[in-house]
Amino acid sequence: MDNPAIQVRGLTFAYPGSPPALRNLHFQIECGETVGLIGPNGAGKTTLFLCLAGVLPAPRGSASILGFDPADPAQRRQLPQRIGVVFQNSDDQFVNATVFDDVAFGPLNLDLPPEEVRERVTEALTLTGLAGLEERPPFHLSGGEKRRVALAGVLAMRPEILLLDEPTMFLDPRGRRELAGFLHNLPGTKIIATHDLEFVLQMCRRVLLLDAGELRADGKAREVLSQTELMDRHGLEVPYSLRAK
Amino acid sequence: MTLAFDALDISDSPLARLDPRWKLAALSLAILITGFLQTLPAIFSALAIAVLMLAVARLPVRFLLWRYGAFVLFLMLFLVLLPITEGRQGLFAALRVGSRALAIYSFGLVLLGTAPFATTIHAGQALGIPRPLTQITLMSYRYIFVLADEFSRIRLALRLRGFRNKMNRHSYRTVGNVTGALLVRGADRAERIGQAMRCRGFDGHFRTLYRFRTRRADVLLFAALMAAMGGIFAWDWYLRT
Repeated sequence: MDNPAIQVRGLTFAYPGSPPALRNLHFQIECGETVGLIGPNGAGKTTLFLCLAGVLPAPRGSASILGFDPADPAQRRQLPQRIGVVFQNSDDQFVNATVFDDVAFGPLNLDLPPEEVRERVTEALTLTGLAGLEERPPFHLSGGEKRRVALAGVLAMRPEILLLDEPTMFLDPRGRRELAGFLHNLPGTKIIATHDLEFVLQMCRRVLLLDAGELRADGKAREVLSQTELMDRHGLEVPYSLRAK
Repeated sequence: MTLAFDALDISDSPLARLDPRWKLAALSLAILITGFLQTLPAIFSALAIAVLMLAVARLPVRFLLWRYGAFVLFLMLFLVLLPITEGRQGLFAALRVGSRALAIYSFGLVLLGTAPFATTIHAGQALGIPRPLTQITLMSYRYIFVLADEFSRIRLALRLRGFRNKMNRHSYRTVGNVTGALLVRGADRAERIGQAMRCRGFDGHFRTLYRFRTRRADVLLFAALMAAMGGIFAWDWYLRT
Protein backbone atom coordinates (compact mmCIF):
# COMPACT_ATOMS: atom_id res chain seq x y z
CA MET A 1 0.00 0.00 0.00
CA ASP A 2 1.20 3.54 -0.81
CA ASN A 3 2.43 5.79 1.99
CA PRO A 4 -0.02 8.50 3.01
CA ALA A 5 1.18 11.97 2.04
CA ILE A 6 1.39 13.07 5.67
CA GLN A 7 1.11 10.98 8.78
CA VAL A 8 1.33 12.64 12.19
CA ARG A 9 1.51 10.45 15.29
CA GLY A 10 1.66 12.14 18.67
CA LEU A 11 3.47 15.27 17.46
CA THR A 12 4.34 17.61 20.31
CA PHE A 13 6.56 20.66 19.92
CA ALA A 14 7.55 23.49 22.27
CA TYR A 15 9.68 26.56 21.60
CA PRO A 16 12.49 26.89 24.17
CA GLY A 17 11.18 28.24 27.47
CA SER A 18 7.53 28.19 26.35
CA PRO A 19 4.60 25.84 26.84
CA PRO A 20 3.97 23.36 23.99
CA ALA A 21 2.84 25.03 20.77
CA LEU A 22 1.67 21.65 19.45
CA ARG A 23 0.28 18.95 21.75
CA ASN A 24 0.02 15.30 20.85
CA LEU A 25 -1.34 15.74 17.32
CA HIS A 26 -2.62 12.73 15.40
CA PHE A 27 -3.89 12.87 11.82
CA GLN A 28 -3.27 11.51 8.37
CA ILE A 29 -3.60 13.12 4.96
CA GLU A 30 -3.82 11.02 1.83
CA CYS A 31 -2.06 11.82 -1.44
CA GLY A 32 -4.05 14.28 -3.56
CA GLU A 33 -6.20 15.59 -0.68
CA THR A 34 -6.74 19.32 -0.18
CA VAL A 35 -7.21 20.02 3.52
CA GLY A 36 -8.02 23.27 5.29
CA LEU A 37 -6.19 24.04 8.54
CA ILE A 38 -8.10 26.54 10.61
CA GLY A 39 -7.82 27.98 14.09
CA PRO A 40 -7.42 31.28 15.92
CA ASN A 41 -4.16 33.26 15.99
CA GLY A 42 -1.47 31.40 17.91
CA ALA A 43 -3.20 28.04 17.39
CA GLY A 44 0.04 26.49 16.05
CA LYS A 45 -0.76 26.39 12.33
CA THR A 46 2.56 27.87 11.15
CA THR A 47 4.50 25.85 13.74
CA LEU A 48 2.88 22.67 12.42
CA PHE A 49 3.92 23.58 8.87
CA LEU A 50 7.50 24.24 9.95
CA CYS A 51 7.63 20.93 11.84
CA LEU A 52 6.31 19.04 8.80
CA ALA A 53 8.87 20.74 6.55
CA GLY A 54 11.66 19.75 8.95
CA VAL A 55 12.58 23.36 9.77
CA LEU A 56 11.58 23.03 13.43
CA PRO A 57 12.82 19.92 15.21
CA ALA A 58 9.90 17.58 15.87
CA PRO A 59 10.53 14.41 17.91
CA ARG A 60 11.68 11.41 15.86
CA GLY A 61 8.91 9.24 14.53
CA SER A 62 6.15 11.76 15.26
CA ALA A 63 5.67 12.73 11.60
CA SER A 64 6.14 11.10 8.25
CA ILE A 65 6.09 12.94 4.93
CA LEU A 66 5.72 10.47 2.05
CA GLY A 67 7.58 8.01 4.25
CA PHE A 68 10.37 10.46 5.22
CA ASP A 69 10.89 11.47 8.85
CA PRO A 70 11.52 15.25 9.11
CA ALA A 71 13.36 14.67 12.39
CA ASP A 72 16.01 12.50 10.75
CA PRO A 73 18.80 14.74 9.34
CA ALA A 74 19.50 12.50 6.34
CA GLN A 75 15.81 12.16 5.44
CA ARG A 76 15.16 15.85 6.14
CA ARG A 77 17.53 16.77 3.29
CA GLN A 78 15.16 14.95 0.91
CA LEU A 79 12.16 17.01 1.99
CA PRO A 80 12.54 20.35 0.13
CA GLN A 81 11.86 18.62 -3.19
CA ARG A 82 8.81 16.85 -1.77
CA ILE A 83 7.12 19.41 0.46
CA GLY A 84 6.91 23.12 -0.29
CA VAL A 85 5.87 25.87 2.09
CA VAL A 86 4.41 29.16 0.88
CA PHE A 87 4.84 31.65 3.72
CA GLN A 88 2.25 34.08 5.01
CA ASN A 89 4.30 37.12 4.03
CA SER A 90 5.72 36.68 0.54
CA ASP A 91 8.47 39.25 1.24
CA ASP A 92 9.98 36.80 3.75
CA GLN A 93 10.45 34.30 0.97
CA PHE A 94 12.45 36.48 -1.43
CA VAL A 95 16.21 36.12 -1.33
CA ASN A 96 17.26 37.40 -4.72
CA ALA A 97 17.03 40.67 -6.57
CA THR A 98 15.11 39.44 -9.64
CA VAL A 99 12.07 37.21 -10.05
CA PHE A 100 14.06 34.75 -12.19
CA ASP A 101 16.92 34.42 -9.69
CA ASP A 102 14.50 34.09 -6.82
CA VAL A 103 12.54 31.27 -8.44
CA ALA A 104 15.86 29.60 -9.35
CA PHE A 105 17.04 29.68 -5.72
CA GLY A 106 15.35 26.39 -4.75
CA PRO A 107 16.27 24.34 -7.85
CA LEU A 108 19.88 25.54 -7.54
CA ASN A 109 19.92 24.23 -3.98
CA LEU A 110 19.02 20.80 -5.39
CA ASP A 111 22.28 20.89 -7.40
CA LEU A 112 20.43 20.44 -10.68
CA PRO A 113 22.22 21.13 -13.97
CA PRO A 114 21.80 24.77 -15.18
CA GLU A 115 19.61 23.73 -18.14
CA GLU A 116 17.17 21.97 -15.85
CA VAL A 117 17.14 24.91 -13.42
CA ARG A 118 16.25 27.26 -16.30
CA GLU A 119 13.61 24.83 -17.55
CA ARG A 120 12.00 24.55 -14.12
CA VAL A 121 12.04 28.31 -13.59
CA THR A 122 10.45 28.94 -16.99
CA GLU A 123 7.84 26.27 -16.30
CA ALA A 124 6.99 27.65 -12.84
CA LEU A 125 6.78 31.23 -14.15
CA THR A 126 4.54 30.18 -17.03
CA LEU A 127 2.34 28.15 -14.69
CA THR A 128 1.88 31.10 -12.35
CA GLY A 129 1.36 33.58 -15.18
CA LEU A 130 4.55 35.50 -14.47
CA ALA A 131 6.28 35.08 -17.83
CA GLY A 132 7.72 38.45 -18.81
CA LEU A 133 8.45 39.54 -15.25
CA GLU A 134 11.72 37.59 -14.98
CA GLU A 135 13.99 40.63 -14.54
CA ARG A 136 11.71 42.59 -12.18
CA PRO A 137 12.67 42.91 -8.49
CA PRO A 138 10.10 40.77 -6.62
CA PHE A 139 9.68 43.42 -3.91
CA HIS A 140 8.21 45.92 -6.36
CA LEU A 141 5.37 43.71 -7.58
CA SER A 142 1.73 43.88 -6.50
CA GLY A 143 0.47 41.69 -3.62
CA GLY A 144 -1.01 39.13 -6.01
CA GLU A 145 2.12 38.99 -8.15
CA LYS A 146 4.32 38.61 -5.07
CA ARG A 147 2.18 35.71 -3.93
CA ARG A 148 2.57 34.12 -7.35
CA VAL A 149 6.37 34.60 -7.28
CA ALA A 150 6.46 32.94 -3.86
CA LEU A 151 4.34 30.09 -5.27
CA ALA A 152 6.54 29.83 -8.36
CA GLY A 153 9.63 29.60 -6.14
CA VAL A 154 8.08 26.62 -4.39
CA LEU A 155 6.58 25.01 -7.52
CA ALA A 156 9.99 25.10 -9.23
CA MET A 157 11.03 22.48 -6.66
CA ARG A 158 8.20 20.28 -8.02
CA PRO A 159 6.94 19.25 -4.56
CA GLU A 160 4.25 16.63 -4.14
CA ILE A 161 2.87 18.39 -1.07
CA LEU A 162 2.14 22.10 -0.79
CA LEU A 163 1.62 23.86 2.54
CA LEU A 164 0.09 27.30 2.12
CA ASP A 165 0.15 29.66 5.10
CA GLU A 166 -2.58 32.32 4.84
CA PRO A 167 -2.45 32.33 1.04
CA THR A 168 -5.25 34.91 0.64
CA MET A 169 -3.72 37.45 3.01
CA PHE A 170 -2.80 40.78 1.30
CA LEU A 171 -4.80 39.75 -1.79
CA ASP A 172 -7.58 41.83 -3.30
CA PRO A 173 -10.74 40.00 -4.48
CA ARG A 174 -9.35 39.53 -7.98
CA GLY A 175 -6.03 38.14 -6.67
CA ARG A 176 -7.96 35.83 -4.34
CA ARG A 177 -10.13 34.59 -7.21
CA GLU A 178 -7.09 33.99 -9.42
CA LEU A 179 -5.33 32.11 -6.62
CA ALA A 180 -8.39 29.91 -6.02
CA GLY A 181 -8.56 29.04 -9.71
CA PHE A 182 -4.86 28.34 -9.84
CA LEU A 183 -4.79 26.11 -6.75
CA HIS A 184 -7.90 24.29 -7.91
CA ASN A 185 -6.10 23.16 -11.07
CA LEU A 186 -2.85 22.35 -9.30
CA PRO A 187 -2.36 18.61 -8.74
CA GLY A 188 -0.87 17.20 -5.55
CA THR A 189 -1.58 17.29 -1.83
CA LYS A 190 -2.35 20.68 -0.32
CA ILE A 191 -2.87 21.99 3.20
CA ILE A 192 -4.22 25.51 3.37
CA ALA A 193 -3.90 27.31 6.71
CA THR A 194 -6.16 30.33 6.72
CA HIS A 195 -8.68 32.50 8.54
CA ASP A 196 -10.55 32.90 5.26
CA LEU A 197 -13.20 30.27 5.87
CA GLU A 198 -15.07 30.95 2.64
CA PHE A 199 -11.83 30.12 0.84
CA VAL A 200 -11.61 26.86 2.83
CA LEU A 201 -15.17 26.00 1.80
CA GLN A 202 -14.34 26.75 -1.80
CA MET A 203 -11.09 24.74 -1.88
CA CYS A 204 -11.24 21.94 0.70
CA ARG A 205 -13.48 18.99 1.42
CA ARG A 206 -11.82 18.28 4.74
CA VAL A 207 -10.77 20.59 7.54
CA LEU A 208 -8.58 20.33 10.63
CA LEU A 209 -9.35 22.71 13.50
CA LEU A 210 -6.37 23.54 15.68
CA ASP A 211 -6.54 25.57 18.90
CA ALA A 212 -3.84 26.06 21.54
CA GLY A 213 -1.74 23.42 19.78
CA GLU A 214 -4.42 20.72 20.01
CA LEU A 215 -6.46 19.19 17.23
CA ARG A 216 -10.09 20.03 18.15
CA ALA A 217 -11.89 18.80 15.06
CA ASP A 218 -11.13 16.80 11.93
CA GLY A 219 -13.93 16.29 9.45
CA LYS A 220 -15.79 17.39 6.37
CA ALA A 221 -15.38 21.13 5.84
CA ARG A 222 -19.10 21.88 5.57
CA GLU A 223 -19.93 19.90 8.71
CA VAL A 224 -17.17 21.38 10.88
CA LEU A 225 -17.58 24.95 9.69
CA SER A 226 -21.35 24.95 10.17
CA GLN A 227 -21.15 24.11 13.91
CA THR A 228 -21.81 27.48 15.50
CA GLU A 229 -20.95 26.40 19.03
CA LEU A 230 -17.66 24.76 17.98
CA MET A 231 -16.62 27.74 15.90
CA ASP A 232 -17.48 30.23 18.66
CA ARG A 233 -15.58 28.22 21.25
CA HIS A 234 -12.41 28.42 19.17
CA GLY A 235 -12.58 32.07 18.22
CA LEU A 236 -13.95 31.46 14.72
CA GLU A 237 -17.21 32.23 12.94
CA VAL A 238 -19.48 30.17 10.75
CA PRO A 239 -18.85 31.38 7.18
CA TYR A 240 -21.51 33.68 5.81
CA SER A 241 -22.47 31.22 3.07
CA LEU A 242 -23.32 28.52 5.67
CA ARG A 243 -25.40 30.71 7.98
CA ALA A 244 -29.13 30.04 8.08
CA LYS A 245 -30.90 32.56 5.88
CA MET B 1 6.26 50.34 -1.01
CA THR B 2 9.09 48.36 0.46
CA LEU B 3 12.65 49.61 0.47
CA ALA B 4 13.85 46.06 0.14
CA PHE B 5 16.72 45.71 -2.10
CA ASP B 6 16.78 47.63 -5.31
CA ALA B 7 19.05 46.01 -7.80
CA LEU B 8 21.09 48.28 -10.04
CA ASP B 9 20.48 47.62 -13.72
CA ILE B 10 23.89 46.56 -15.01
CA SER B 11 24.39 48.39 -18.28
CA ASP B 12 26.32 46.66 -21.00
CA SER B 13 29.95 47.78 -21.17
CA PRO B 14 33.35 46.21 -21.83
CA LEU B 15 33.88 45.98 -18.06
CA ALA B 16 30.46 44.40 -17.42
CA ARG B 17 31.33 41.62 -19.86
CA LEU B 18 34.50 40.62 -18.00
CA ASP B 19 34.75 37.59 -15.73
CA PRO B 20 33.83 38.86 -12.23
CA ARG B 21 36.68 36.87 -10.65
CA TRP B 22 39.40 38.64 -12.63
CA LYS B 23 37.68 41.98 -12.15
CA LEU B 24 37.38 41.44 -8.40
CA ALA B 25 41.02 40.41 -8.12
CA ALA B 26 42.28 43.34 -10.23
CA LEU B 27 40.16 46.00 -8.54
CA SER B 28 40.83 44.68 -5.02
CA LEU B 29 44.57 44.88 -5.64
CA ALA B 30 44.17 48.35 -7.16
CA ILE B 31 42.28 49.46 -4.04
CA LEU B 32 44.96 47.97 -1.80
CA ILE B 33 47.80 49.69 -3.69
CA THR B 34 45.94 53.03 -3.70
CA GLY B 35 45.59 52.74 0.05
CA PHE B 36 49.40 52.68 0.40
CA LEU B 37 50.13 55.67 -1.87
CA GLN B 38 51.54 58.71 -0.08
CA THR B 39 52.46 61.34 -2.68
CA LEU B 40 49.94 63.57 -4.42
CA PRO B 41 51.08 62.91 -8.04
CA ALA B 42 50.81 59.14 -7.50
CA ILE B 43 47.41 59.42 -5.82
CA PHE B 44 46.09 61.67 -8.61
CA SER B 45 47.32 59.13 -11.17
CA ALA B 46 45.42 56.34 -9.40
CA LEU B 47 42.36 58.58 -9.30
CA ALA B 48 42.72 59.23 -13.03
CA ILE B 49 42.79 55.48 -13.72
CA ALA B 50 39.72 54.94 -11.55
CA VAL B 51 37.83 57.73 -13.36
CA LEU B 52 38.88 56.29 -16.72
CA MET B 53 37.51 52.90 -15.65
CA LEU B 54 34.26 54.54 -14.54
CA ALA B 55 33.95 56.08 -18.01
CA VAL B 56 34.55 52.70 -19.66
CA ALA B 57 32.00 51.12 -17.27
CA ARG B 58 29.27 53.46 -18.60
CA LEU B 59 27.52 53.66 -15.25
CA PRO B 60 24.28 55.68 -15.16
CA VAL B 61 24.94 59.35 -14.36
CA ARG B 62 22.14 59.36 -11.76
CA PHE B 63 23.74 56.40 -9.99
CA LEU B 64 27.10 58.20 -9.88
CA LEU B 65 25.67 61.57 -8.79
CA TRP B 66 23.84 60.03 -5.84
CA ARG B 67 26.79 58.01 -4.67
CA TYR B 68 29.42 60.72 -5.15
CA GLY B 69 27.14 63.32 -3.59
CA ALA B 70 26.76 61.35 -0.37
CA PHE B 71 30.45 60.45 -0.27
CA VAL B 72 31.74 63.98 -0.92
CA LEU B 73 29.46 65.30 1.81
CA PHE B 74 31.12 62.87 4.20
CA LEU B 75 34.59 63.84 2.93
CA MET B 76 33.89 67.57 3.39
CA LEU B 77 34.42 67.08 7.10
CA PHE B 78 38.12 66.37 6.48
CA LEU B 79 38.53 68.67 3.50
CA VAL B 80 37.30 71.68 5.45
CA LEU B 81 38.60 70.94 8.95
CA LEU B 82 42.17 69.90 8.13
CA PRO B 83 43.25 73.14 6.34
CA ILE B 84 41.63 75.22 9.11
CA THR B 85 43.33 73.40 11.97
CA GLU B 86 46.69 72.51 10.33
CA GLY B 87 47.22 75.31 7.79
CA ARG B 88 49.25 74.56 4.62
CA GLN B 89 50.23 71.09 5.87
CA GLY B 90 46.58 70.39 6.55
CA LEU B 91 45.63 71.47 3.03
CA PHE B 92 48.02 68.89 1.53
CA ALA B 93 46.85 66.25 4.00
CA ALA B 94 43.22 67.00 3.07
CA LEU B 95 44.05 66.70 -0.63
CA ARG B 96 45.81 63.38 0.00
CA VAL B 97 42.99 61.97 2.12
CA GLY B 98 40.28 63.25 -0.22
CA SER B 99 41.79 62.13 -3.53
CA ARG B 100 42.87 58.74 -2.15
CA ALA B 101 39.40 58.12 -0.74
CA LEU B 102 37.81 59.20 -4.05
CA ALA B 103 40.09 56.88 -6.01
CA ILE B 104 39.29 53.90 -3.74
CA TYR B 105 35.59 54.74 -3.82
CA SER B 106 35.64 54.97 -7.62
CA PHE B 107 37.33 51.57 -7.97
CA GLY B 108 34.65 50.21 -5.63
CA LEU B 109 31.88 51.73 -7.75
CA VAL B 110 33.36 50.14 -10.88
CA LEU B 111 33.29 46.79 -9.10
CA LEU B 112 29.73 47.12 -7.78
CA GLY B 113 28.33 48.82 -10.87
CA THR B 114 29.50 46.33 -13.49
CA ALA B 115 28.21 43.06 -12.02
CA PRO B 116 25.29 42.08 -9.76
CA PHE B 117 26.36 42.16 -6.12
CA ALA B 118 25.57 38.47 -5.62
CA THR B 119 27.72 37.54 -8.63
CA THR B 120 30.64 39.56 -7.25
CA ILE B 121 30.27 37.73 -3.93
CA HIS B 122 30.20 34.39 -5.74
CA ALA B 123 33.35 35.47 -7.57
CA GLY B 124 34.95 36.12 -4.17
CA GLN B 125 33.94 32.64 -3.09
CA ALA B 126 35.49 31.22 -6.28
CA LEU B 127 38.71 33.13 -5.48
CA GLY B 128 38.95 31.40 -2.13
CA ILE B 129 37.36 33.90 0.24
CA PRO B 130 36.05 31.73 3.10
CA ARG B 131 32.41 30.72 2.68
CA PRO B 132 31.23 32.09 6.08
CA LEU B 133 32.60 35.51 5.10
CA THR B 134 30.83 35.56 1.73
CA GLN B 135 27.59 34.35 3.30
CA ILE B 136 27.72 36.98 6.02
CA THR B 137 28.30 39.64 3.34
CA LEU B 138 25.39 38.44 1.19
CA MET B 139 23.00 38.11 4.10
CA SER B 140 24.07 41.47 5.57
CA TYR B 141 23.25 43.00 2.20
CA ARG B 142 19.82 41.35 2.33
CA TYR B 143 19.15 42.36 5.94
CA ILE B 144 20.25 45.98 5.56
CA PHE B 145 17.18 46.45 3.39
CA VAL B 146 15.00 44.45 5.76
CA LEU B 147 16.06 46.75 8.61
CA ALA B 148 15.60 49.85 6.46
CA ASP B 149 12.12 48.62 5.58
CA GLU B 150 11.23 48.04 9.24
CA PHE B 151 12.68 51.41 10.20
CA SER B 152 10.59 53.27 7.60
CA ARG B 153 7.44 51.58 8.94
CA ILE B 154 8.25 52.40 12.57
CA ARG B 155 9.08 56.01 11.62
CA LEU B 156 5.79 56.36 9.81
CA ALA B 157 3.92 54.93 12.82
CA LEU B 158 5.68 57.44 15.10
CA ARG B 159 4.85 60.39 12.87
CA LEU B 160 1.22 59.32 12.63
CA ARG B 161 1.09 59.46 16.42
CA GLY B 162 2.44 62.99 16.45
CA PHE B 163 6.07 62.27 17.33
CA ARG B 164 8.60 64.96 16.34
CA ASN B 165 12.26 64.46 17.19
CA LYS B 166 13.43 67.13 19.64
CA MET B 167 16.37 67.52 22.03
CA ASN B 168 14.53 66.26 25.10
CA ARG B 169 14.30 63.23 27.35
CA HIS B 170 11.12 61.93 25.69
CA SER B 171 12.79 61.93 22.25
CA TYR B 172 15.92 60.18 23.50
CA ARG B 173 13.82 57.52 25.19
CA THR B 174 11.68 57.06 22.07
CA VAL B 175 14.76 56.72 19.84
CA GLY B 176 16.14 54.12 22.27
CA ASN B 177 12.87 52.18 22.21
CA VAL B 178 12.68 52.38 18.43
CA THR B 179 16.22 51.01 18.14
CA GLY B 180 15.24 48.11 20.39
CA ALA B 181 12.01 47.47 18.46
CA LEU B 182 13.94 47.62 15.21
CA LEU B 183 16.38 44.97 16.37
CA VAL B 184 13.64 42.70 17.72
CA ARG B 185 11.47 43.01 14.61
CA GLY B 186 14.51 42.66 12.36
CA ALA B 187 15.55 39.51 14.22
CA ASP B 188 12.02 38.06 13.92
CA ARG B 189 11.96 38.75 10.22
CA ALA B 190 15.47 37.37 9.76
CA GLU B 191 14.30 34.18 11.48
CA ARG B 192 11.37 33.84 9.08
CA ILE B 193 13.58 34.48 6.05
CA GLY B 194 16.00 31.82 7.31
CA GLN B 195 13.14 29.35 7.72
CA ALA B 196 11.85 30.09 4.21
CA MET B 197 15.35 29.53 2.81
CA ARG B 198 15.70 26.19 4.58
CA CYS B 199 12.28 25.13 3.25
CA ARG B 200 13.70 25.66 -0.23
CA GLY B 201 16.67 23.43 0.44
CA PHE B 202 19.26 26.04 1.49
CA ASP B 203 22.13 24.19 3.14
CA GLY B 204 24.45 27.11 3.86
CA HIS B 205 25.93 27.25 0.39
CA PHE B 206 24.85 29.92 -2.09
CA ARG B 207 24.72 28.68 -5.66
CA THR B 208 24.48 30.64 -8.88
CA LEU B 209 23.54 29.98 -12.49
CA TYR B 210 26.44 32.19 -13.56
CA ARG B 211 29.33 30.16 -14.93
CA PHE B 212 32.73 31.84 -14.62
CA ARG B 213 34.90 31.67 -17.72
CA THR B 214 38.31 33.21 -18.28
CA ARG B 215 38.85 34.95 -21.62
CA ARG B 216 41.77 36.85 -23.05
CA ALA B 217 40.18 40.22 -22.20
CA ASP B 218 40.04 39.25 -18.51
CA VAL B 219 43.75 38.48 -18.36
CA LEU B 220 44.54 41.63 -20.35
CA LEU B 221 42.57 43.88 -17.98
CA PHE B 222 44.22 42.27 -14.97
CA ALA B 223 47.70 42.61 -16.46
CA ALA B 224 47.15 46.20 -17.65
CA LEU B 225 45.70 47.40 -14.35
CA MET B 226 48.41 45.66 -12.32
CA ALA B 227 51.14 47.10 -14.56
CA ALA B 228 49.67 50.61 -14.22
CA MET B 229 49.16 50.36 -10.47
CA GLY B 230 52.56 48.72 -9.98
CA GLY B 231 54.17 51.57 -11.93
CA ILE B 232 52.33 54.16 -9.83
CA PHE B 233 53.40 52.41 -6.64
CA ALA B 234 57.05 52.39 -7.78
CA TRP B 235 56.82 56.06 -8.75
CA ASP B 236 55.30 56.89 -5.36
CA TRP B 237 58.15 55.02 -3.66
CA TYR B 238 60.72 56.93 -5.76
CA LEU B 239 59.10 60.30 -4.96
CA ARG B 240 59.07 59.53 -1.25
CA THR B 241 62.70 58.42 -1.05
